Amino acid sequence: MSQGEYPVYEVFGQKDRLAFHTHVGSIRAANPEMALQMAREAFFRRETVVDIWVVPQDAIYSAAQEPAYLPQIGEDKKYRLPSGYDNAPHWKRFKARAMSIEEVAEEMTGKRG
Amino acid sequence: MDDPIRTREFLDRLEQGDKIEATDWMPSEYRDLLIKQIHMHGISEIMGAYPEKEWVPKAPTIRRKLALNAKVQDEIGHGQMLLRLAEDLSRPYGRGREALMDDVIAGRVKFHNVFHMSAPTWADAGVIGFLVDGGAIITQAMLLDSSYAPYARMLKRIVAEESFHMQHGESVVLALAEGTDAQRNMLQEAINRWWEPMMFFFGPREMGRGSQRMMEYKIRTLTNEDLRQKFINRYVPRVRALGMSIPDPKLKQDPATGLWEYTDPDWDWFNKMVRDNSGPMSQARIALRRYAHEEQRWVREAVNHATQALAELPGA
Repeated sequence: MSQGEYPVYEVFGQKDRLAFHTHVGSIRAANPEMALQMAREAFFRRETVVDIWVVPQDAIYSAAQEPAYLPQIGEDKKYRLPSGYDNAPHWKRFKARAMSIEEVAEEMTGKRG
Repeated sequence: MDDPIRTREFLDRLEQGDKIEATDWMPSEYRDLLIKQIHMHGISEIMGAYPEKEWVPKAPTIRRKLALNAKVQDEIGHGQMLLRLAEDLSRPYGRGREALMDDVIAGRVKFHNVFHMSAPTWADAGVIGFLVDGGAIITQAMLLDSSYAPYARMLKRIVAEESFHMQHGESVVLALAEGTDAQRNMLQEAINRWWEPMMFFFGPREMGRGSQRMMEYKIRTLTNEDLRQKFINRYVPRVRALGMSIPDPKLKQDPATGLWEYTDPDWDWFNKMVRDNSGPMSQARIALRRYAHEEQRWVREAVNHATQALAELPGA
């Protein structure tokens, strides 16, 4: 790094209190406080966020450089997914209807998922 | 004693529907209630994997084995995520994951009554997915609105994964209900075993002081009885649609209020079981946890030593 060059910080923003922090990009800054200010000016001029995280880039270990650490794809994983189970026609045979977790969540919180 | 002005400000935040983060100031009572709730929830996820794991090698087809194994992985994963939250909250007490896990083995933390019971047939494995997960989903869906943001966020992930558990449990139950007389009998017997534990699952009609305070702090939003009524209301018609009966002669819905009358579970027996770990399978499952936690501690320590030794190598 040449003298006067700042370290890189990766920037994450949180849209609302119950959202996960999401990566939005990166900036250079002299220190974490400056990085937060820079991140605010660079990425959040329009949309509101309730929190910003800045993380020194060299603190991040990425699996993309070592594919062995990535989840395996390509094999059949339908048995792990709700869509892997077609229960509706079976419930219909018993004159009942299939139930989804979304409708339970809606009943319990009064909100549409 | 907490600062009354800060406590007032905190309660105002809750009143406005604001959510609390791990790093925010909070009254010690709020922190302690959360630790108790999330610790017990996390440990119940982990202990809940045991009755199901027993059925992985005995499940009838390779697809059922894969699915059940996937579910066991999910439950352990949920336990890990929840224990992380309990650890963050326990920071002022200097207690980390090792200590939170020691509590299970020493009997200092309770876990859900249903995981103290035995699952003697394949139908039990199905009914656990159908009724126990069904009940847990109702409770967890309520917590999506919790005032403690890290808990509510984690529940979003957990509930999304529970969606598969729900469909999987129903799929096993439906296959048995569509099967031979022997399979249908096996299903009925499993329902007979699990109904009373499920009535206990949601807790006493009159909530204890801690649960009431959790409502006031908006950690939870519904009473035990609200949750139980919602469970009965959803599952009684489903069980009956399968041509199965519910082992409760008192079960009746009031047409005016929509509320269900039901036979109380044996509160004393179940309370004693969760307090003393005296259920049919309590000790056997705690022994498995002790083996995983204590007997394997040297492996966790060895990895720490190895990482440290590598960092100290010249040129590292």
